[in-house]
Order: sequence, then structure tokens, then C-alpha cells
Amino acid sequence: MANAIYSGLVQRLLRVPPAIYVFLILLIILSISRPHMLNVNVMGIFIRQVVPLGILVLAQQLVMRVNSIDLSGGGVILLINYLISSSVFPGAPLWFFVPMALMIGTGIGLFNGYMVSKRRVSAVIVTLAVSIILIGLVQFLSSGKPPGDVPSIFSDIYNTKFWSIPTPVLFWVFLSVLMALFLARTVFGRYVSSVGANAQAAHFSGVPVERTVILAHTLAGLIAGIAALVQTASIAVGSVRVGLDLPILAVAATILGGVVFGRGEGGVSGPFFGVLSFALLFVVMTTFGIDDPGKLMAQGMIILLAAIFYGVRTAKS
Amino acid sequence: MSNISKAFGGSVALDSVSLELKPGTVHALMGENGAGKSTLMKILAGVHQPDSGEIRKNGEKLVIPRPKDALDLGISTVFQELSLLSNLSIAENMFLGREPITLFGTIDYAVMEQQTIEALQELGLTLDPSTLVSQLSIAERQFVEIAHGIKADAAVFILDEPTAALNAADVAVLNKHIARLRDAGKAIVYISHRMDEIFENCDTVTVLKDGQLVGTRPLADMTPDSLIAMMVGRELAHLFPERSTEVGEAVLDVKDFKLEAGSQPFSLKLCRGEILALAGLEGQGQQKFLRSLIGQFVPAGGVALIKGQSLKLPVAPSAGVRQLQALGVGYVPEDRKEEGLFLGLSISHNITIGLHSAHSALSFAKDYLKNITDTMASMNVKAAGITAPVHSLSGGNQQKILLGRYLAADVDVLFIEEPTRGVDIGAKSEIYKLLRSFAEGGGAVLVLSRETIELIGLCDRIYVVHDNTIVSEMRAEEATEHKILDAALSA
Repeated sequence: MANAIYSGLVQRLLRVPPAIYVFLILLIILSISRPHMLNVNVMGIFIRQVVPLGILVLAQQLVMRVNSIDLSGGGVILLINYLISSSVFPGAPLWFFVPMALMIGTGIGLFNGYMVSKRRVSAVIVTLAVSIILIGLVQFLSSGKPPGDVPSIFSDIYNTKFWSIPTPVLFWVFLSVLMALFLARTVFGRYVSSVGANAQAAHFSGVPVERTVILAHTLAGLIAGIAALVQTASIAVGSVRVGLDLPILAVAATILGGVVFGRGEGGVSGPFFGVLSFALLFVVMTTFGIDDPGKLMAQGMIILLAAIFYGVRTAKS
Repeated sequence: MSNISKAFGGSVALDSVSLELKPGTVHALMGENGAGKSTLMKILAGVHQPDSGEIRKNGEKLVIPRPKDALDLGISTVFQELSLLSNLSIAENMFLGREPITLFGTIDYAVMEQQTIEALQELGLTLDPSTLVSQLSIAERQFVEIAHGIKADAAVFILDEPTAALNAADVAVLNKHIARLRDAGKAIVYISHRMDEIFENCDTVTVLKDGQLVGTRPLADMTPDSLIAMMVGRELAHLFPERSTEVGEAVLDVKDFKLEAGSQPFSLKLCRGEILALAGLEGQGQQKFLRSLIGQFVPAGGVALIKGQSLKLPVAPSAGVRQLQALGVGYVPEDRKEEGLFLGLSISHNITIGLHSAHSALSFAKDYLKNITDTMASMNVKAAGITAPVHSLSGGNQQKILLGRYLAADVDVLFIEEPTRGVDIGAKSEIYKLLRSFAEGGGAVLVLSRETIELIGLCDRIYVVHDNTIVSEMRAEEATEHKILDAALSA
């Protein structure tokens, strides 16, 4: 009987996404080593830095729930950043750039979805190829030189605060809640979990499998467009290298958050904490004087540990 | 095996069960799903370890820590679940883990393929050993699996539902080999839900119920009725419900349908109030016809009307199931685990997904609580709750959930491939009653099944399919297995 209670407890603990544990551990480390940093102002700045990643994670988890993947986010962010910061559209207002970004993202997502679902091309290959093409396109257009400045309205909005919380952070929380409601309350959410669990069975239950995958990719593209806008606002200048590591970090944070291919048990909050863990990780490592190479290795280790954790869990169930 | 007990978590799967196998006999192991048959055999095969009790062979105490050790001890198993790797060839599957090696340390494909050909030939199969398993039919896979198990030079053979995916002709081949093994002095354990096979093949029967031993009897003293009574603990007077007498208008009207370019055209009608069967040997076109209605097979020509509306042939594969659903037709696929259920998701998700799929993706998802509880109650599903994952249910309850999804979606026509595959006899009877009351409520059912007895007992009318066309039509009450086989083969 004690054994049953014990194994029940272990089961329950294993069901918590690893991101929560990582987040708590980092929080404890930080509160011991640098307790003065744990206030709204400092943490707000740090979390604000990972908001583009956090938004892209919303896109990544959506496609991963239907057993797909989207690595094109890097190219999308780079292209949109270039179009806003270069002189292609001189003096264009905000109301022009925002719909433009959303349309580019949506279009690329639609293309990805069509290729993956209808043409049955591997999602990794399609989205990676799209990203490489977009990166090449930007390098061609800019001839390798960094483009100009981002219109100041972007950074003006980016630097606002409500109740001493940075607006981008609030925006990210808002989008996450929206995504959680969308998945929990719409028929599309049921389609997504069905296709992820068993695409064949989904087909025989009348779920439009192809359309679901296309819609998931299209929405992911739209969200990547939003992430591109926030990323562009955050750096305020154009760059030919911006956002290239974001897609793989997004995959990592999603897995860390308990959303593995075809399985969405971590919910939306799991990957949310996955992103927060990365934010804290950067802070902790910076305070300990560890540079980018060390950070990269730590990121890799976390991805690896999350994968091992899931291996243990699958064996148990 | 004596006094074997085994519990998983809190539930007792086996409670002090003993079993004695004698050389030169075929020993039937029977019981409803969840009675503990598979668990007992998995202990003998080294997959599970018993909590208590012991296993002796020729008086010697055995410990079987791993499946490989069971093979070394002369215990060979063909499991119910298809366990072949579909991306490997037949030969690679047969020799998995013990591949013959050449002088240079590479795999000796020549020896492997030659021995595979021989093993398959013993079962009367002429398959190319380099064929990928993914390209085989389910029956062929089952045969490869059997060849895999039988090939090993063992003293004890465990056949766990070897015929679940086989048709009558294949079963006859298998029976011949079982007799051969018996005559060679082997001890064989035979697990099956099919009565006719048990009486044809076996000498002794052991019945389990709820993890406990009911008894072991020589089959010569038993009748099918007394065996069923032993299994369910009561006489099952009517396994099949009464047939209906009234039929309404046609809901499926097929004319001049040609499956292949060279095959004979055929016509058929399915009417309200009736249960109709497509019978015959396996793979003669029954499934091809049914799947051509959802676009998974491209027929050569013909007309299919559903409730007076003509289906555009060939049907688009991605829209086929939804198109039928919009017309009030449910399509219940054959393979419950691969094509039917979301095993890791909850009962409620599995039931309601059919209801959800009638709505557009961006609409609000209702909870359909009443539909779920009504379905669970009317189908007598035994489960911990509606949030329990479907893989935690027994085979019979899983099948009920699958049917429940289509019934809950308020269809009035059902196309069913294998209504009771791998389901115990109690659940079978319940499913038959459900289908009959569905038909009596104005519904219509078209059934395929490998179990001819089931088709005869359940249905009102039977079309015999052979060589991609319908060769005969008969009233089910006049049909026998012999007549159906005769009609198929004399065509």
C-alpha cells in the first residue's frame, strides 16, 4: 500500500513539466546568490528580453502538438526585421508595418503547412529550407551590410510599462492566455490533440487532418510575424543576424515545458515556464560571469536532460 | 505452473492459478478478456515475473527472467499483438537479434533468406523473404509471426490468438501445423475466442475467470454451450439477438460497381432496419469496396447512392470520411488501436471527437457531458471515469467506446469492419444487441468480419464476395459456413 502511494506520488511529480523544476532551482540559486536582483524592475527587464522567444514558443508548441515542427521562425524574423529597418519602405507608419509583418508570417506559415500536409514533405526539411532561403534573400538585399534604424515608435512602445511591468511581458502573458483558451475551448483544440495522438484515428473520426495541420502551421506563421515585430522593437536597429537561434531555443523551451511531439500534456503554461527558465538561466550565468559559449553548452545540457526525463517517463507509463 | 499469482499495481491479474501442460497435447486456454490468459502466458514467456508460485519443466524448477531465456528453455511464443517491425524485411524480422554471421562478421543474408523461405514454405507461404513487412496484409504478417514462433526448435509453444486476423482458409493451414507439432510430441497452448477452432484443435481446456482458475477439463466431455457457461459463469442462451423482419427504404444503393478494371460489376442494396454482411474468404474485395466509399481505394467504375445522393467516384481521400458523416453514415475502421482510438487520450475525448468534427474548427467546443454519460450507460462501459485514458480499458470496452463514438454522433447508417475483433464473448453479445437495436431504431448496418459465424448469427442478409465481385446472396437464417465457402469457391 505504501508502495502504491509512493508510486502515485512519483507519477504525479513526473507529470509536472521539467520546466517548472528548472525554474524553481534557478530561482533558488538566484535568491541565495543575488537576492537583491529579485525585484519587479530587474526581473522585468530580464524577462522582457525573452519575450520574442516566448511568443515564438507559442507557435512552436502549436505545430509540435500536431507532430510537426517549424524551424522557419529565424528567417521570418530576419526578413521582417530587414523590411522594417531598411529603406525599402522609407517613412512608412506603424499601421503599415504591423499588417505587413503579420501577412508575411501568415503567408510563410501557409506555405509550410501546405508543403507538410498536402505534399507530405518532411517538416524539418521544408521549414529549414524556407528559413535558409529567407536568410539568403535578406543577405542578398542588404549585400551583407547591416540595414538602418527601426522607426522610433517601435522602441517607444517597447519601453512602456504598466504597473511597473514592461508592456512586452504583459503582451506575452496575454497571448499565452489567448492560446490556452483557444486550445481548450475550440473545436480546433480537439482536432489538434486528436491529430497529435493518432492521425489515422483522427481521420476515421472525421477530423479534417490535412486542414488541421495547415491551420496549425498558418497560425504558427502568424505568431512568428508577431514575434518578429517584438524582436525588431527590442533591438531597435536592423541586423542581418537577428533571431537566428530563436527557432531551436523555441523547440528546447517547448520540450522542457512538457509539450513533446504529438503530446500536449504540459499545456501552455509548461512551455511558458520553459521560456522563463531560459530567462533566469541567462541571468544566473551572467551573474556568475559565464559567457556565450558556456551559455550555449548549458542550453544543450538542458535540452538533453529534458529528453532523458521524458524517456524515463515514457518507460514508466 | 503451480499457484501462480501476479498483481499489477493494485489489481490482481492472477490469483494462485495452476496449469499443467503435457507433451503431445493441444491445451486451450479460455476466458473473457481480462481473465488473465495473456498474463499467465507472458509469465511463461519471461515477459512478466510472477509475484508467487513456481514453474517446473520435467520436474525441474525454472526461473525465466527475460523473453530470451524462455526461448533458450524451449518455450516459444506467438503473441496476440503483431510484434513485427514493419520497416524491416521478412527475413530480417525472423532473425532479429540472432542474425547469422559470415566469415567477415557481416550479416549472412543468403543463409537468412534461405532459411526464411523454408520456414514460410512449411506454412504453405510463397513470400519473397526480402519483402518489407509493411507491404504485407495483416493475415500475411500474422503468418510470418507464426513462422517466427514455430521455427524455433522448442518443446512448448504458446499461440496467443494466432487466428484473430486470419480467414477460414488460412486457419485450416495453421490447424494442420498445430496437428503436426502435436504429433511431434510438443506441448501447445492455444488461446482463441473462436469456439470452432477450440473444438477442432484442442484436447484439453483450462478456463480462467477474473484471474482465477475455473477448471481444467478434457474437451471430449464438453459442448460449446457448456464451455461458454464455464467462461461466463452462466448459460448464454442467446449470443445473438433476434433478427428483424421489417426493412425500410434503401440507404445505400450500389449499381454496376467495378472494383478492378477486369472484375465483374456488381450491385447491392442496404435498407433501413437491416444488418447486411459481406462474407467470403479474406481479401476478396470486401474491404476494397467499403474503403472505396471513403476514398481509400479507387474503383474502376460504377454508381453508389447514399440516401439517394450520388457519391462522386473516386472519392477524395482526405474528405471521404467527413462526406459520409455529413450524410449520417459512420465508418468504423478495422484496426481499433491504429485507426480507431486515441489510446492515450480520455474516454470523453474519444467519444466526443465525432461530434466535434461536425463543426468548423474555429467554433466553440461544447462539453457534451450528457452524450458521454448516455453513451457509457447505454453501452455498459466499465471504466474508472470519463477522464480515464482508453488504453486502461479492456478490449471489449475499447471496442464499445469506438462504436459509441459513431452512435453518439447520431448517424443512422454504420459501415463496420470487424465489429468484435479481439473482444471477449460477453462483450460480443452486448455489441450484437447494440447493433440490432440500432437497426431496429431505423438504422442500417453493413458489416465485414473474418468470423463467418458472427456474420451468420448477427446479420439478416449476406452477400458472398469472391474475386472482387458478389457471387451470391442469401438469407442469413439459411446460411451456414459451409454454404458460404461453397458459394465463394464454386463461383
